[in-house]
Amino acid sequence: MPKLAVADAFVDNARAASSEDELFELLSECCKAMGIRYFALVHHIDFGVDAAPAIRLHNYPKAWQHWFDENRLGRSDPVHRASQLANYGFPWSAIPGMITLTPADLSVFAQARIVGIGDGYTVPAHVPGEFTGSCSFAMGAGEAFPRDLHSVAQILGGIAFDAARRITRIREIWPPIERPLTVRQRDCILWSTRGKTDWETGTILGISMGTVIQHLKHARERYDVHNKAELSVRALQGGLIAFSELGLRR
Amino acid sequence: MVQLLDTTLKEAGDAALNLMFAARKSVFVDLLRWNVPVRDGCHEIDQFDDDHARYLILLADDGRHLASTRLLPTTRPHILDTLFPNLCEHPLPRSPRTLEITRFCLDRSLRAVDRRQVRDQLVTAIVEHAVEHGITTYTGVAEMGWFQQILSFGWDCRPLGLPTEHEGSMLCALRIAIEADTPRCLARAGIWSPTATPGLRERRATGARG
Repeated sequence: MPKLAVADAFVDNARAASSEDELFELLSECCKAMGIRYFALVHHIDFGVDAAPAIRLHNYPKAWQHWFDENRLGRSDPVHRASQLANYGFPWSAIPGMITLTPADLSVFAQARIVGIGDGYTVPAHVPGEFTGSCSFAMGAGEAFPRDLHSVAQILGGIAFDAARRITRIREIWPPIERPLTVRQRDCILWSTRGKTDWETGTILGISMGTVIQHLKHARERYDVHNKAELSVRALQGGLIAFSELGLRR
Repeated sequence: MVQLLDTTLKEAGDAALNLMFAARKSVFVDLLRWNVPVRDGCHEIDQFDDDHARYLILLADDGRHLASTRLLPTTRPHILDTLFPNLCEHPLPRSPRTLEITRFCLDRSLRAVDRRQVRDQLVTAIVEHAVEHGITTYTGVAEMGWFQQILSFGWDCRPLGLPTEHEGSMLCALRIAIEADTPRCLARAGIWSPTATPGLRERRATGARG
């Protein structure tokens, strides 16, 4: 079957899919048609700990998921980390050039080989305001991922991730807050996220330290979070502030 | 309050157009490093900016450019058939009821939170334009990261071919079907945000009376 035809059929079916099981079957069929052994459609969270409803569909060996959760790799897996730096799909062979690999990362790759997972290709999925995620495709142990499957994997990954978002109603995890934040609250969150203390933020904004503390407290109440780090994360996830505003060093 | 201009080179005032061309230069040339022509050192204007192009421009109260896009007829030379025919494996949709979305531009001065809001307003304006003018299909070319976002808007969008590498980025041709329930699909995805432009309000009021 020509590759675009596989993708087209998948688009139609994925759009109509109403459950995770159905999507799992569709991905399985599609991979089989292309000679791909494994797929993994996931949000990058720690499934052993994080309670949020998130996407995780894969046909990796059982031993792999167990080992993966045991080692709490949901957020730190090297493939997931690399995908946060990528705008489109990348072969796993490119990962050493994308992120600094730690000894723990090398053991992840070694463990993958042991359980029978070969070479792969990962499509990142970044939807602003949601968990980052990705859709990976992998061959059996010792097999190279064919280059001519990169582009179709790219499309399948993108469509699959979007279908999974729809099915799991991922947008409803963080419902919009009832009362929007004030301009001053946002200013305080921005400077706090940039690493300024309350006193420094007050000096920059020309208000007292006590006022800064009050603004941040009210902001935390509106988001229903309990500390500064959570507040920053929610503000970034909700698009109230952006990474581009943080002025991080290049 | 945000104002929507649905206009052409002939109808629009120079001020709004020049702001848009300058914003496009800032985004597509300075930021994204596209290899496209620049006029007078500050305006990004190419061969498709002619009397056949239609522009949807979002302006702030004080006249600032917030976002804009250009819609090209597919019955004449446009981006997909002229510059990227290799991206389409399927026959290229081409009809009086098919427009190509090009130069989707969010002003660089927007803050993150406004950015998403303005993006949603522009996407909504594009769908409203189709509904009002009997357009059934949009086509376009998108870089893969953007393609993923376009998919997440909830409308019926699909690739016209497999993505292809072009000057260091991965591009994909796409087709969006506009149907009666497209506004509802966008609303379900949390995107639908109509701009209350004075023109539209009048039309609605007239409709209500008669």
